[in-house]
Amino acid sequence: MIDEERVKQMTRMAIYEEGKGRSDVPMTQYFRHDYIGKEMVKSILSGTMAFALICAMYLLCQMEYFMENINQIDILAFGTGILIKYAIFMVVYLVITYFVYDVRYTVGRKNVKMFYGHLKKVNKLYEQEEKRKQSDEWQGRIEG
Amino acid sequence: METLLEWKEKIRRFYSKNEVYMVPIIKFFLAFVLFLIINKNIGYMKRLDNVAIILVLALLCAIFPVNAIILFGVMLTLLHLYALSMEVFLTGAVFFLLLALLYFRFAPKEGYYTVLTPICFVLRIPYVMPIAEGLLCKPYAIFSVVSGTFAYYFLDGIKRNEAVLGASSENATATSKFVAALNQLIGNKEMYLVLVAFVISMLLVYQIRKLSVDHAWTIAILTGILLQFVILFAGYLILGIDGKVITLLVGSVVSTVIAFALKFLFFHVDYSRVERVQFEDDEYYYYVKAVPKISVTQSKKQVKKFNSNNKKKTAVHKGERITREALAKEMDIDKELLK
Repeated sequence: MIDEERVKQMTRMAIYEEGKGRSDVPMTQYFRHDYIGKEMVKSILSGTMAFALICAMYLLCQMEYFMENINQIDILAFGTGILIKYAIFMVVYLVITYFVYDVRYTVGRKNVKMFYGHLKKVNKLYEQEEKRKQSDEWQGRIEG
Repeated sequence: METLLEWKEKIRRFYSKNEVYMVPIIKFFLAFVLFLIINKNIGYMKRLDNVAIILVLALLCAIFPVNAIILFGVMLTLLHLYALSMEVFLTGAVFFLLLALLYFRFAPKEGYYTVLTPICFVLRIPYVMPIAEGLLCKPYAIFSVVSGTFAYYFLDGIKRNEAVLGASSENATATSKFVAALNQLIGNKEMYLVLVAFVISMLLVYQIRKLSVDHAWTIAILTGILLQFVILFAGYLILGIDGKVITLLVGSVVSTVIAFALKFLFFHVDYSRVERVQFEDDEYYYYVKAVPKISVTQSKKQVKKFNSNNKKKTAVHKGERITREALAKEMDIDKELLK
């Protein structure tokens, strides 16, 4: 026989799993710091790529200047300047990453907790059904 | 007010019922408008400047997720830029790659806002975008509006400087075209001003609407619009940008109206849709269609008003005198309750 309450709970779980759960559930397999750390590593890669692109465009724009003044440019000072700018860029990028993924983790964890709440209810319903079946069985034996 | 609430409920019911068709229609419409704007403004590749082509692209966007609109929009734009000049195309490609790194890292699910931002800029009502995001999204969603704003100003700059950027290579060197394409974006002070105004007002709206005070949404909308207006107005004066004040004023008023319309549609309304899910347990396979419950009363229900201080007035209805017994019988309650 179909247990209505169980179907309700399982439907809610299925709706969540097919929607937000797809991104939330894998997220909560990590501890908060591990998850944010993983995203920070991704951001270091994407941020470095973005900075490299910006540098390439800058160099392209200043190509004529560089060609004309190649002998007068202090390469060390120029390199240091770029490194400092890179460090500032990355700090800003990583701080934003930290806040964004911290909020995401908090929201995702809350949703997953609700999901596990439904899961617990389903388990309870299964246990109740099991007990009912056993007692019916015993009653049948006694009567038989 | 009751009529408005009923309308709100009707819209919600209609959306919940027809969500399967509504979402593709909305996506098709948005994609079509966006592609049309791109073609009208920077339609340098004549073969692509064709309604049939954008219709086909918009139809594809209706099927795919919302980020497909962004992808097709970028592809269309790059092809037009390629027709203008190779240097502008390369600049555009790098620029969109940078935007992708920003957008897909922080707000990949807010595609609608990224698409709507340039559309609203063309319609001269971009001020509604940060307000809408502040009301409906998490703070990091601002990156979608920021990406849309960058894209709009980049393409607007290309359009304004098309004579320089599209000049034959005899008249302009490749490097000078790169410089011109980049400078029209990097040197655009108005864009920085708009970005600052958008980010600050979005964060403010988000913070205010989260407060547990009465009319938080209304206060958030008005404060956000006002702050945006002040920042932009002061910025235009300081930067010496002329001819923007009337657009700003009218745009802000229209944006306020739209923001209140959004409040009406989304404040405490759950547009949860009809869900179709399938799962199984030990005994059965379930194919479930979950339909959201309807909560607000419909006009079919009658509301009777009672006023114990003025029994005569209550009892006389359309010239008929109704006795307490008759009313109690009609309401199916004890007549003692009406004393």
